[in-house]
Amino acid sequence: MRFDVVIIGGGWAGCSAAEKLVEAGRKVCIVSEGLSLSAVKYDSPYARLAALQKQGAVVLRGDRAVCGKIEDGKVVEVRTRNQDEPLVADEYILATGKFFSRGLLSDKDHVWEPVFGADVDYDPDRTKWYDPDFDAPQPFMKFGVKTDAEGHVLVEGRAIVNLTAVGDIRND
Amino acid sequence: MALKEYDVIIVGGGITGAATVRDCALRGLSALLIERGDICDGASGRNHGLLHSGARYAVTDREGAEECIKENRILRRIASNCVEQTEGLFISLPEDGLDYQANFIKKCREAGIDAEAIDPAEALRMEPAINPRIIGAVKVPDASVDPFRLVDAHILDAQRHGADILKFTAVTELVKEGGRVVGVKTQKGDVIRAREVVLAAGIWTAGLAREAGVNIGMMPSKGALIIFGHRVAKMVINRCRKPANADILVPGDVVSVLGTTSDKVPIETCDDMHATPEEVELLLREGEQLVPCLAQTRIIRAYAGVRPLVVADPAGDGRNVSRGIVLLDHEERDGVPGLITITGGKLTTARLMAEMATDLICKKLGSSAKCETAVKPLPGSEGRKPRFKDPFNMRAAIGRHGNEVSQMDFKTGGEILCECESVTRAEIEYAVKNFGVRNISDLRRHTRIGMGTCQGSFCIKKIADVLADILKVPADELVKEYRQERWKGMTPVMWGDTLREAEYMQKTNKDEI
Repeated sequence: MRFDVVIIGGGWAGCSAAEKLVEAGRKVCIVSEGLSLSAVKYDSPYARLAALQKQGAVVLRGDRAVCGKIEDGKVVEVRTRNQDEPLVADEYILATGKFFSRGLLSDKDHVWEPVFGADVDYDPDRTKWYDPDFDAPQPFMKFGVKTDAEGHVLVEGRAIVNLTAVGDIRND
Repeated sequence: MALKEYDVIIVGGGITGAATVRDCALRGLSALLIERGDICDGASGRNHGLLHSGARYAVTDREGAEECIKENRILRRIASNCVEQTEGLFISLPEDGLDYQANFIKKCREAGIDAEAIDPAEALRMEPAINPRIIGAVKVPDASVDPFRLVDAHILDAQRHGADILKFTAVTELVKEGGRVVGVKTQKGDVIRAREVVLAAGIWTAGLAREAGVNIGMMPSKGALIIFGHRVAKMVINRCRKPANADILVPGDVVSVLGTTSDKVPIETCDDMHATPEEVELLLREGEQLVPCLAQTRIIRAYAGVRPLVVADPAGDGRNVSRGIVLLDHEERDGVPGLITITGGKLTTARLMAEMATDLICKKLGSSAKCETAVKPLPGSEGRKPRFKDPFNMRAAIGRHGNEVSQMDFKTGGEILCECESVTRAEIEYAVKNFGVRNISDLRRHTRIGMGTCQGSFCIKKIADVLADILKVPADELVKEYRQERWKGMTPVMWGDTLREAEYMQKTNKDEI
C-alpha cells in the first residue's frame, strides 16, 4: 500500500500532523492502536480520526506497527500486525507516545523503541528513572527517541531523513 | 480529664494485640487497645498472607510446626471468612534433591501435619504454572489468609464485647509508681491507668520496654515481598528445601504474593519500610525458579515488613533465631510488676499467643475465666455464609465481610466505586463507622479499595470525593496522600507494565498531556 505519508500513532500528536497533511492534499495513512492517553486532557482522538477518514485518510484502527525497514538512512517500508502488505511512503512520522501507548518498551535494565530501534535517551541506572516524591518531576517522563535539529529520528547515531518524531515519543 | 481505669491495656494494634484484646474482652476483662497508627499498620499488614500449615518449620522447629497446624485448623473454623482453603505444595527442583523431601515428609507427619507426596506429573497437572523441572512435590494443608480482614474481625469482636480501641494515639511512656507499671501516657499527655499493661507492639516493643527499665533483646528482620497482578497458581507454592529467600508464592484474592527476604536491619529504619531494587531483583531471580511465568507477569508493587524476632545472640541473619512465641512476665523476669510482653510468633499463631498472654493476665488479676477464642467464630464467619444469589454489587462484599454485610446499606450505597475490587459505597460507610479512617490508605486496609490492579489510578478521585464528603476534609489532600503511598511501592518495580501504569498515574494526576 503506497501513501505520501505514513503516520504511526493516532493520538493527539499523530492526528495534528495528519490534519495538516490532509489539508495540504497529501495521501495519508494513520496506524492507530488505540492506546493514546490524549483523552486524559483533550477530547478523545476518535472523532478526529473519523473526520480524517472522511477527508480521505486511511486509518488502520487497532493495528500496530511492528517493524520498520531502513535502507541507506531512509525508511523504505513499515509492517503492521494486521496488514499482509507493508505500508510504503515518502515520509514517515513516529507519533507513538511513551510507555502507556507502547511507543517505548522497557524491562529491568533497558528502554527501547520497538518499531525502528531508534536511539532512546534514558538513564541506564533504573533507580534514576523515578523520583520517590510522586509530585516531583519524574525523569522517565522525559525519556524518548533522540532526534536531530530537524526532528529526524536517530537510529544508531544516524539521522533517518524521512522519519520525523512528533509528540511524547520525543526526548523533550 | 478523668479517664477510666482498665483491667488491662494492650499496646499495639497488629494481629497479636487485636487477638489479645479480643481474648480479654471475651473473658470479661475491661480492656483498652491503644495503637499509634491504624490497625494493621505494621508487620501484620506487610506479610505474605500465608496461613502456615507448619510444614515450613517441621524440619527445623517441631514445636513451631505443631503450634501452626493446630492454629491453622482453628482459624479455618473461627475465621472461615478470612481464610481461603487453597492447600499448599512443596516442590523439589533437581538442585534441591529428594533427600530433603523424604525427611520433610517424615518430620511433617511427626508434627501432625498431613503431608502427601505427589507424583511430579500430577503436581504439574494440578498447578501448570510451576517449574516443569520439578522432581517431586508434597501436598500440605497451607492456606491463604487475608491479614487485614483477620485483624479487623478481632477488633470488631473485642468492641462488641465491651473493649475500647484507641487508634492514632502513640504511647509515649509507661507510667510507673513504686516500681510497678500502672498505666500508659499518651502523646496527648493523658495518663490511662490499668492493672496490667501488655506490650504487643511487634518490633516497637523493645523501645517501650526500655523506657520502663526492661531490656528485651529484639532483632528487626526485614522481609521484602512482591505482589503480582494475577493469580498464577491456585495453591500456595513453596520450595522443598531449607527455608531461604523468595521460596513462597501465596495466592490471595486476585493477586499472588512472592516472598520473602530476611535481613537484619537497624531499628531506626523500621518506621519507614520499603523494598529496595536489589531485593526485588533477588526475589524475582528466586521466584522464577518456583514459577517461571512470574518473569512475564505484571508486578503491581513491592513492600516490606519487619519480623519482631527475639534473640539472645544478636548476630546472624534472622532465619536461624527463634520465630517462636515469647511471653515475658516482667514481674518475674525483671522485678517490674504490672507489665507483660507478648511477641515473636507468627500471624498463624497469634490466637495462641493471645491465649497465653491472657492466661497470664487472668492469673495476675485473679480471674478464673476460661479462653473461648478457639471455639467462638469471629464476626463475619458466624453461622452460614450468605449464598451468592444476591445482587452483583454485593457479591465481593459478601466474600470480604461474610455475615457482616447485614450491617451494610446496599439500598443507598450500592454503587461500585473501586472497580478492580468491586468495593461499594456501603462498605466505605461501614469501614468509616466501625474502624474510623483518616485517609484512603486507612480505608484501603479495611475495604481493599485501591488495592487491585489499577492501584487507584482510575477510581481515586471518585473515592476521594466520597470520603472527603464523610470526613469533611479536602479531597485533593486525600488523593495526594494515597498517590504518594502507592508510589512508594511502585518505584522499586517500575519497568514494563508498571512503568506504563506510572505514566498513566502521572498524567491523570496532573490532568495534562
